[in-house]
Amino acid sequence: MTAPTTTAPESAPESAPESAAAPKALYVYGIAPAGIRTPRSRGVDGAPVRLLTEAGLCAAVSAAPPRLRPRRRDLLAHQAVLDELAEQGPVLPMRFAVLSPRTDTLLTQLRSDAAHLTQQLDGVRGCVELNVKGTVVPGHFADLVRRDDRLRTLALQTRRRPDYEANVRLGEAIALGVRREARRAAREVVDRLAPLAVRTVQGATDDEQVLSASFLLRSADEARFREAVAERARACGDRLALSVTGPLPCYSFVDPRPASPAGR
Amino acid sequence: MITYDDEVVCAPRAGTLYDVLELILDRGMVIDVFVRVSLVGIEILKVDARIVVASVDTYLRFAEACNRLDLEHDVRSKTVPEMFGSPVAKTVGRAGARRTARSLTDKVRDVLAPEHEEAAEAEARTRERAERPRSRPAARPRGEDDRPRSRPRRRTETEDE
Repeated sequence: MTAPTTTAPESAPESAPESAAAPKALYVYGIAPAGIRTPRSRGVDGAPVRLLTEAGLCAAVSAAPPRLRPRRRDLLAHQAVLDELAEQGPVLPMRFAVLSPRTDTLLTQLRSDAAHLTQQLDGVRGCVELNVKGTVVPGHFADLVRRDDRLRTLALQTRRRPDYEANVRLGEAIALGVRREARRAAREVVDRLAPLAVRTVQGATDDEQVLSASFLLRSADEARFREAVAERARACGDRLALSVTGPLPCYSFVDPRPASPAGR
Repeated sequence: MITYDDEVVCAPRAGTLYDVLELILDRGMVIDVFVRVSLVGIEILKVDARIVVASVDTYLRFAEACNRLDLEHDVRSKTVPEMFGSPVAKTVGRAGARRTARSLTDKVRDVLAPEHEEAAEAEARTRERAERPRSRPAARPRGEDDRPRSRPRRRTETEDE
C-alpha cells in the first residue's frame, strides 16, 4: 500500500533546482489555515499526504502519480483527504486532478495570494455544504392523467384505438407531464431551502435528475435544514425523490479560479 | 445527530461516489498556475452517472399503466407506486432515493421490465383495494403506512473500479 514518494514527474522542468524540495509535480487536495493535522488518509494513487505551509496557510499535497486517471479509488481518496481537512475547520477544496508543477510554484502561490485565499477561507468558516438531489417519481401520474384534460382525452382515445404509435404518444405525453411536475416540485424545494442557507448553487439537471443544488449552511443550521428537506420530501414524495449528501467540503462555494497570479 | 435518516435518505457523511462525483469533477478550486490534468475517460464517467431515461420503453410502460387506470370513475384506483412495481414504491415510501448509476439502472430496468410481476401486481391491487381504499394518491397518509413491506435493499457500496 505504501506508494513510492519518488514518482517520476511529468511536467517538472529540469531547470531551477530547488534546495529544499525536489522539483516534482504535486497533487493538490486543498488549502487550509496553517496549523492543522496532516490527514491520515492515503491520497491519490495511495501516496501519503503531507502539508506545505506558507504565509499562514497550508496546502495538502501528495506526490503526483505518473499517470492520473479518474479511477474510483482515486476519486474517493481525493474526497477522503478533503473530508479529513474539513473536519478540522475551513478548507478550500481543489477540483480533482489539479497539480502544481513544482513545490516552489505552490508556495509562491500561497504567499502571493494569501489575502485572497484567507478571505475565501473566512467565507466558508463554520459552514458545510449539503447537496440535495431530486429525481423524478411518477407516483402522482394517475392523478395527473385525471386532472389534465389533454392527457385524459389522449388516454381515452388510446384505449378505444390501441396501437403502438398511440401508446408511444400517450406514454411520452405522460412522461413529459410527470417530469414537468417534478421540476415544479424541485423549484418549490429550492424556494423553501434557500432561505436556510448562506448561499445556494444549482447544478446541472437532466430528464431524470431534475434537482441538484448545493447549499452552504452554517453547521448549526444543518439539523434544521435536514428537517426542512424531510418535510419537503414528505410533501412532494409522489413527484420528486429527494436525497441529501453531506456535510461536504465546500466544493461549490469557493471561487473556482482565484484571479491573482503568482507573479512568477 | 442522526435525526431524519430514516425518512429521508441521508447519505452517510461522504455520500456515495456518484453523489459527489459532479462536485469533485466540476466544482472546487482550480488555480491558474497549477495544472489541471486532462482526464481521459472522464466524459464516459459522467455519462455513466447520468443515464437519461426517456425512451420508447418508458413511454410504453407509462401507456400500459395508464391503460389500466380507471378513468371513468375517479375513485378507488390504486395508487401509482404499486402500479409501477416495487422500486418506485420503495423510493416514494422512503421519500428519497439513492441515486447511483446502478440504482438508477436497476430502477429503470425494474420499472420497465416487470413482466414477472403481473400476477403479484394484480394480487397486490386486490389487497390494496380491500385494505386501504383511498381516493387520490395525493391523499396518501404519510410515514409508516407508506413503507414498503420489505425494506428497500441497502445498496452496499462495493462497486468495482
